Amino acid sequence: MSVEFMFIGKRTPRKDAEAKVTGMLKYTYDLEVPGMLIGRIVRSPYAFADIRRIDVSEAVKMGAIVVTPSDIPQKPYNPRLVSINEVTFKDTYILTYKPRYLGEPVAAVAASSEELAQKAAECVKIEFEKIYKPILDPLEAMKPESPRIHEKIMKGDKWIEVENNIAARLDYDEGDVNRGFEEADVIVERTFKTGKRYHMQLEPKAVLVVLEPGGKLTIYTTTQTIHNTRILISQLFDIPESRINVVRVPIGGSFGSSIQTNYLVPIAVALALKAKKPVKIAYTREEDILDHSNFVFHFKIKIGAKKNGVFAAAEFINILDVGAHQVQPYPLLGTSLGWFISMYKWKNIRYRGIAVYTNKVPGCALRGYGAPEVQWAVETLVDEIAEKLGIDPIDLRLKNYVGKGEIFWGQGPTVKSIIKSDGVPELLLKGKEIIRWSERGHPSEKKGRFRRGIGVGRGFHTSGAGGPISGEVIDYTGCILKLNEDGTLDYITALQDHGGGTLDAHVKIIAEELGIPPELVNIATASTETTPYDVCTHASRGTYVGGECARRAAQIVKQKILEAAIRIIGRVVNPEALRIGYDKELKQAVVYVEGTDIKLTLAEIARTSWQRNWGTIGAFVSYRATSAPPSFTVYYVEVEVDTWTGKVKPIRVVAGADVGTPINPDMVEGQLHGGFVMAWGMAFTENTAYDPLTGEIMGRGLITDYKIPTAADVPTPEEFTVIIAKTYEPTGPFGAKGLGEAAMNPAVAAILNAVYNAIGIRFYELPVTPDKIIEALKEKGELEW
Amino acid sequence: MKVKFILNGKPVELDVDPRETLIDTLRLRLKVKSVKRGCERGECGSCTVLINGNPVISCILLTIQINGAEITTVEGLVGDILLEKLAKNFIDNGAIQCGFCTPGILLTAYAGIKQGKIKKSEDVKEYVNNLCRCTGYVKIIEAIAKTADEVWGHER
Repeated sequence: MSVEFMFIGKRTPRKDAEAKVTGMLKYTYDLEVPGMLIGRIVRSPYAFADIRRIDVSEAVKMGAIVVTPSDIPQKPYNPRLVSINEVTFKDTYILTYKPRYLGEPVAAVAASSEELAQKAAECVKIEFEKIYKPILDPLEAMKPESPRIHEKIMKGDKWIEVENNIAARLDYDEGDVNRGFEEADVIVERTFKTGKRYHMQLEPKAVLVVLEPGGKLTIYTTTQTIHNTRILISQLFDIPESRINVVRVPIGGSFGSSIQTNYLVPIAVALALKAKKPVKIAYTREEDILDHSNFVFHFKIKIGAKKNGVFAAAEFINILDVGAHQVQPYPLLGTSLGWFISMYKWKNIRYRGIAVYTNKVPGCALRGYGAPEVQWAVETLVDEIAEKLGIDPIDLRLKNYVGKGEIFWGQGPTVKSIIKSDGVPELLLKGKEIIRWSERGHPSEKKGRFRRGIGVGRGFHTSGAGGPISGEVIDYTGCILKLNEDGTLDYITALQDHGGGTLDAHVKIIAEELGIPPELVNIATASTETTPYDVCTHASRGTYVGGECARRAAQIVKQKILEAAIRIIGRVVNPEALRIGYDKELKQAVVYVEGTDIKLTLAEIARTSWQRNWGTIGAFVSYRATSAPPSFTVYYVEVEVDTWTGKVKPIRVVAGADVGTPINPDMVEGQLHGGFVMAWGMAFTENTAYDPLTGEIMGRGLITDYKIPTAADVPTPEEFTVIIAKTYEPTGPFGAKGLGEAAMNPAVAAILNAVYNAIGIRFYELPVTPDKIIEALKEKGELEW
Repeated sequence: MKVKFILNGKPVELDVDPRETLIDTLRLRLKVKSVKRGCERGECGSCTVLINGNPVISCILLTIQINGAEITTVEGLVGDILLEKLAKNFIDNGAIQCGFCTPGILLTAYAGIKQGKIKKSEDVKEYVNNLCRCTGYVKIIEAIAKTADEVWGHER
């Protein structure tokens, strides 16, 4: 379907660009208010311990405000409120006498400067009752003899016992798996393990809590969801939502690290309530690593296929290392299954998902919510099966993938919808030509120090977590759009833009629907008290869900503009006779009747409505998407492995994306570039390793030891090709779907399949560091020194 | 300790604790907020400033070390032709996402181009080692290389 748009699909500058290049844009850490105190958090030096007493007398003597667990409501909570209450597992306390990971907050102080606060924090003495050996391996943690990290937690409003450190479970069966494997001609079974990655968003988490006259709280923080932040603070402190206002502040990247309300937010609220003064807390980078990192995935996957290249059965065992507290691993058990099921038609499926506590930093979502991990494993296995069957890996994918007309699990078992747009064949076949797939050769033919290989990875991500039926995931949004008295518009939404340009996409969608230039639409400052509820910017839903909501608001506003125009013109019978468009001569939006000289500027209509007391032209929309369509992505990657050093270099990348209608090609490309480079880090470097004795992150969490790719590690721009499939998603705004996560998901698989094609070795544990490559080459007898 | 320097063309005289880092002096005392605190370990480059025209990481530098120097941040380059070219190419090329690394990268690129160390895209990969987590650097490299070409293209 090819539609000519006015603004959509064009490369357009973002509205906040000017403020970003001049350094004028204020992030949370840049905010200051008079009389503000600086808070610091006192953290447990042990990974698993019981605290007898916290002595704060020295800190109080210094004039610091101090809070300990005794000052704070001891209500278990879950910082992530995306799921419905019945399946929200609550085991976290704002401050605790029983730290379960090294760095867990046990007390907090506030003083007039960061230096004084730090001094006061260092004066807080913690007396320990008992220090336990940390449990860091989930398989160890599940053994009946292992000590229990948690004994009782809450599921919804009920207390439940924790057995064998199992935080949550999810099983699923479909068809007859045993028979499927019996009928299979080829079976491949592998175990996979990922690193514990850290988001490394450039802006460390920060919060500023201001007590307004009359006791109302205003909160500025690094969050992906202002509304869920408000709800959580309201629940924890028993303050009505109407007395808390959370402001949307620009955020310096996030990648899932603030779907949950970060731990420093309730701590700052507690300090501010006690101090009766504004309190700001900003993590250092080392604290930020202690606040959030990814889950560790342990997979055991078995796949059976028949000679004719059709799958017969699949078994997937998923053991999630969730760390010390639940930031909703339960829905991750569901999405992991969903990503798995939606990859290929397995026919018969057995899934066992177990989320297990360990004494590590609580795991949370990181771009893809399990999809990069699942797709890495599946795409590795599919390549192996293709090789065993002697079928081209691309043909095997085309034959078995879940595509148009089939059911897609957008976000686990309760979020399903029918796939209506599918660019997979186009992307696989186009990419194949560009990368010169047929020339890739076999690993056995490759010799010498530097060996090149080409690999493919195919995957997707959902666009939101909507669907026809209300399931376990909350997903709806809302916005307000109003015409101002001069013909400009204010667009008001709670939806956060992490930096991907989501709100600019909304503006273009509004502009397109109304037929007016995007410059006329202002993205209003927003806070919880001035916006309808939006669940969160996550699950690549910003453009698809938020954009459609904006479009619907624009549709209503357009209708009202036309009705006002009719009132002014007098002679026109009904609104359908009118058109809105941009008048190049007048340089403004106009309402006109085709083939006549009837023409009114939008400014005139707005002004007249105001001057004649007709009221404000506007719309309020709360919107739930009834579908969560997959955005398909395909990566072809060429790498070069240095068999002397074990270092891998990207040579060429072909990134293909089916995003439906691209709202802004620049932003589509930007997501794919960023997604590929993040995948490169996941494949080769990124992991927070833990000291087995102390349970401390090795290197003390300094990012000196957490290497993310730099400009020197990426392919040259000329060798990075982006292809955008020509598809149209009928349920999306002007045919658009999401991209943020799909942009990364299958890239790790493509990269490591390329490594295999270069050196003939597969790796099943991430990250694939140079020493692992050297070790594997040595075992294969191919080390040349 | 007394320290004197020029910040964005204006003389500054301060009495600072000898342990105070330049980033704190700039952000907390002088309210220069474009200098971002990303790691405080000299790794990420978000706090880059120009000292006598060279890009320097301000989080691992003591303020007393810059006595007599000339400090420039993006605030001080408003109206500067090279910075405006760079900024324009960043904007037009979609090289900005969350924006947190942007001021630091602009300054590094500015110095690299001005000093003739960046003339083409391979130079950018060598010279600009600021971290960015959003863009994958591709559009940043393109935007900087384009600017370098506008400045130095006639030489090639």
